[in-house]
Amino acid sequence: MIEQAGFRNAKLVEKFDPFLGTSKESTARNYGVDGVNFLAYKG
Amino acid sequence: MALVCPIDFDKDKLKSELRLTYTQVAVDPAGDYHFHRGAEYAAKHLGYDLAALKALPLAATEVFCGTGNPFKMGTLETGATVIDIGSGGGMDCLLAAKQVGPDGTVIGIDMTDAMLERSGGAARAAGLVNVRFEKADMTSLPLADDSVDVVISNGVINLAPDKEAVFAELFRVVKPGGRLQFADIIMKSELSENARNNIDLWTG
Repeated sequence: MIEQAGFRNAKLVEKFDPFLGTSKESTARNYGVDGVNFLAYKG
Repeated sequence: MALVCPIDFDKDKLKSELRLTYTQVAVDPAGDYHFHRGAEYAAKHLGYDLAALKALPLAATEVFCGTGNPFKMGTLETGATVIDIGSGGGMDCLLAAKQVGPDGTVIGIDMTDAMLERSGGAARAAGLVNVRFEKADMTSLPLADDSVDVVISNGVINLAPDKEAVFAELFRVVKPGGRLQFADIIMKSELSENARNNIDLWTG
């Protein structure tokens, strides 16, 4: 989707587990939710 | 990566619910929420420099509820123009303002009045004059075409039901050669129709 908007070289750089230890930890795991860092460039 | 989430429920209602949630966080950061807040969380789970966070006003750090760390992808260039989509209490904006220096500009965008009050107050308390905060929707930014060097954001774009419109708007305002450097959440698989229409899963 990011590249469809016109950006180039979109990449997922790193993952996090922001819901670890919260009341939504199991929900996040059930839905396969990850925190991530993204990088993408214009032109 | 399942970024496309077409939903049938009222998008204005979602926006209203999100405002309520984050107004509550701004008013009562120690309340019971489904997400972590604060500097200790940011340092322990996301790799922020705790000393740098402790140097910021508590008003900015205690309501931080990001999902990643845009600064782990590189330091912002001196003199850069940076926007933060969904700036909340302003923690990332204040860090960015210190990185870009007095010749740079940081603009925090948020749609929640209570967060804008916090972030503006935090910037004043920190003595940072190269950062400002504006109330706007992330699909309609009060910025000129090709005017931004770097877009940062932290756990906010996932809250937009129309992500294509968000990325189109970001592409409009970013300069050629500029970049997105943001954190958010993704899902490994498509959500069911029921899940996509569950507003509690959007707002927590």
